[in-house]
Amino acid sequence: MSDLFIVIGTFALSYAVVLGYAARLHLRRRRVKD
Amino acid sequence: MNRTRILLGTAALAVGVGLWFAFTSPVDRLQGEFSRIVNIHAPFLWVAFLAFGVTALASIMWLLKKTPRWDRLGEASAELGVMFTGTGLFTGMVWGQAVWGRAWDWGDARLATTAVMLFVYLGYLALRGASPDPEIRARRSAILGTIAVVQVPLVYFSVYLFRTLHQTPSIRPDGASMPREMVIALLVNFLAITYLYVALLTARLDVARAEASASIEPGLAGDAVKPPRLTEVEDV
Repeated sequence: MSDLFIVIGTFALSYAVVLGYAARLHLRRRRVKD
Repeated sequence: MNRTRILLGTAALAVGVGLWFAFTSPVDRLQGEFSRIVNIHAPFLWVAFLAFGVTALASIMWLLKKTPRWDRLGEASAELGVMFTGTGLFTGMVWGQAVWGRAWDWGDARLATTAVMLFVYLGYLALRGASPDPEIRARRSAILGTIAVVQVPLVYFSVYLFRTLHQTPSIRPDGASMPREMVIALLVNFLAITYLYVALLTARLDVARAEASASIEPGLAGDAVKPPRLTEVEDV
């Protein structure tokens, strides 16, 4: 079971990086609009 | 709702479907739950190869046409390539620690060449921050973007050229070394993450276009650590 949590954590951290990148793009876009 | 938002929304859905396949497919008997990591590791690094290929293509097009949109495409794709390579390496390290018993081995050809590729493209992004002149910036990065892509086949074929720790691909033209359900899950994730790359690239290009039309210059390397100008220091 703990192996599954490590795997879920790996997926979550990786997609958190992608989500963070998308959020950064959104903020940059909003800065241009302002 | 604009095109980019639709693309990003549908990409999130596609990733959700990919995750469902990744966590419902059967697992390898020896690797156990860790075999699921292939569903994110291999597609992330495939997309990194694709991204660096697009950067090379855009770099060549800039050298031929000298139009800013090719420069913007090269930068946008390299940025995504770096992100997917970094996260792809991280997922591989978690898998390696569990299955090989070690997260990293500099003696492994695939790992070492991938790390070098990551550093070279980090250098590409740093180079873009080294000149305030857009023409010089575009020319330098176009030359590097064209040359640096030689690493993509080097990384891909490293497992055939040097028989070290990293295994050869699990899906080959002559068949797959895993059950059908695992192959389907992997292919769904390949499609979903490729689509995610396209959506993020479109969003990144939107930002680059908007910044260019608003005349916002990208920051230069070292901007964040510059001392204040004397005129900015208040008298005490």
